[in-house]
Amino acid sequence: MSAAAGGGRLFAATTSLVFFGFLFGPLVIMVITAFNSSSFPRVIPWECFTTDWFSVLLADNRLMRGLVTSAGIGIGVVALSVPLGLAGALALTEIGPRLRSALYTLLITPILIPGVVLGISTVVFWRNLGRSMGADYGSFFFNGFFLTVAGQVTFVSAYAMLIFSARLQRFDQSLTEAALDLGATPGQAFRRILLPFLKPAIASAAFLTLLASFENYNTTVFTILSGNTFTTALASKVRYGTDPSLSALAVVIIGITLIGAMTYEAYTRRREAALTGRIRRSTFYAHPLVRLLTHPAAVGGLLLGLAALAVWQGSRHDSSVCVAGVLEEKRALQERLLEEQRQRLRDATPATPAPATAAPASPSAFGDAFRPGTLAPGGLAPAAPAAPAAPAPPSPSTFRDAFQPGTLAPQLPVPRAPDPQAPDQPPP
Amino acid sequence: MSGGGTGSLAALRQACDGFLGRHGLGVALFVGLAVFFWAIVLIVLPQLVMLDYSFRHNLPAAAMGGPDDVRTLTHYRYFLFGGSGSGGGLNRLDIGVLANTLIAAVAVTLINLALCYPVAFVLAHSASGVAARLMVLGLILPFWVNEILRAFAFRVLFGTTGLINGFGLSLGLWEQPIDFVRADVALYAGLTYAYVLLMVFPIYNAVEALDRNQIEAARDMGAAWWRVHWRIVLPVAKPGIASGATMVFMLSAGALAAPQILGGPSSLWFTQLIHQWFNDAGNWPRGAAYAVILMTVCLGFVVLLMRVFRVSIGAIGR
Repeated sequence: MSAAAGGGRLFAATTSLVFFGFLFGPLVIMVITAFNSSSFPRVIPWECFTTDWFSVLLADNRLMRGLVTSAGIGIGVVALSVPLGLAGALALTEIGPRLRSALYTLLITPILIPGVVLGISTVVFWRNLGRSMGADYGSFFFNGFFLTVAGQVTFVSAYAMLIFSARLQRFDQSLTEAALDLGATPGQAFRRILLPFLKPAIASAAFLTLLASFENYNTTVFTILSGNTFTTALASKVRYGTDPSLSALAVVIIGITLIGAMTYEAYTRRREAALTGRIRRSTFYAHPLVRLLTHPAAVGGLLLGLAALAVWQGSRHDSSVCVAGVLEEKRALQERLLEEQRQRLRDATPATPAPATAAPASPSAFGDAFRPGTLAPGGLAPAAPAAPAAPAPPSPSTFRDAFQPGTLAPQLPVPRAPDPQAPDQPPP
Repeated sequence: MSGGGTGSLAALRQACDGFLGRHGLGVALFVGLAVFFWAIVLIVLPQLVMLDYSFRHNLPAAAMGGPDDVRTLTHYRYFLFGGSGSGGGLNRLDIGVLANTLIAAVAVTLINLALCYPVAFVLAHSASGVAARLMVLGLILPFWVNEILRAFAFRVLFGTTGLINGFGLSLGLWEQPIDFVRADVALYAGLTYAYVLLMVFPIYNAVEALDRNQIEAARDMGAAWWRVHWRIVLPVAKPGIASGATMVFMLSAGALAAPQILGGPSSLWFTQLIHQWFNDAGNWPRGAAYAVILMTVCLGFVVLLMRVFRVSIGAIGR
């Protein structure tokens, strides 16, 4: 028995470890790439610690304008979908079982329908309606903002409804009955009994709907028409070229999330402790300092302060020296390669250049060219058919290297490299 | 038929009366109007209009409502048999894309199930107190990060110069960088990741209701662990699995962002075809027809599977 339990615990630990590794690994990697100065998001090779990508992110006007649009859409969606979800949940509690399952199926389908379909149907429907009413193209029927709110509310309301339904299941109907018996009007009973009971559900529904609206891509990409929300701007940025400013954005979002989660955790713990009476009994909690420190506002404030400190420190960090150093290193490398290549060309002039065909045999040469280890003469050359005019024994394959794309490519950044860095370069 | 109609009407009136008595006229009006607006204006009518629109020719705005605006099957015919130049054979390309999308969505669902079932079980029955709370928190936290950024993270991880290739090359596991994006590994991983939450919580909710003593009893009577799961845990988890699998399948078949960002150059998702008809080709009716096809096929597939596994659609979302 104990062996089985031990095995079970081992299994549980391994499963959780693997699973959460899968869940958090990509995020951790992305966060690390935000601080690497390499212009493609990567961890290896590590170049310099930098905070420049955050300023690149802030300078992206399209994203920032999208952020404003998204905030407006989010507010509209929350304002509509929370009441709709509440109404749906209330209707479901009151009607008979047969009608209920039909209504439930109808209201839950927007979650299952592909977002693409929802987006298209919303656009087509309002467009046709506007046209049949003779509205012109400036009216709201053809407005991306309005269409996006309409399209998102369709399915986001269902999330709100699920939250309200879960809460309503725990509602004791006799409370309302008692209020009615005591002479309250039905409206009073609703406002004074049911709504206060639903208050936590309203809060979490508002939060979840805001998040869902903000995140949504599939529906929004159709309904926003020619405009941009934060998420659609982000998606086009990811599709058409990546740089680590996206990782920087992830760092910001993850930071906000962590602060929010920890504050919320502090809040629930404190409330639990208050409910079980541990605050009054325990001497640990009785200490005023501990009480202050475990207060959610204090926790949140402390974390925000730490984040602000990190931002301030980061804004003062100047990585230009290191970046210039890396560039210099690359340039030196290229010069050396160039020199070697010239040398080889000079050595090989008597033998006419026949083996240019060997070049495509090594597709990875370009990627490896930056790694110092592969730069030894012949390191890049594959075991290609021996060139008929192989030069002298000391470096049998050097001639072939001269035609490798990898050896030539690094030249590209050379002329441009020193220019942007020139004002920042320290005196040697 | 008419008996059922009047029966449900009577039920509706009864419900209204009960509602009025309990919550008052204002609330009853609000609920009635809101549910009507949501169900009819936001859900049913747009779908019907889209369905109608998919039977229309692609006309310029001026010609709409004119004599040319007649119903046609041309877009559905195009999906099945291709354009007029294709010689009458089946439209292998588009049908193939749809089939590939469905197969890939099923694969993602199965991978997700294999990944999430153990975790949901551990969460419900092995973890307790702080560990369980941390696990729930750890499950939710990654999903506050934008979907696009999560896909981007997988591109950083799986790219030709990404971390996995970097490790593999430096450890000498493989010689050439492997193109995970072309092999669709990145896409499968990204989609699996995107919908983990939708699979874990329904299974967790279902398994949590299981009495732990039943597992103990089965163990005491000498059942092997797989037998315990097969005979005791799985039957309880079935509604949760059905709910989670349905959502993961529908969402991954309807995904657009992840295929756009992580998909290889040779693989196309059906939603990308729809997007192309709308945005690049400007043929909205055909895009609507393709959307109708996607929705019908996916819902039909789900309903069929629910019949096979004897689960009701009411279990979804619970």
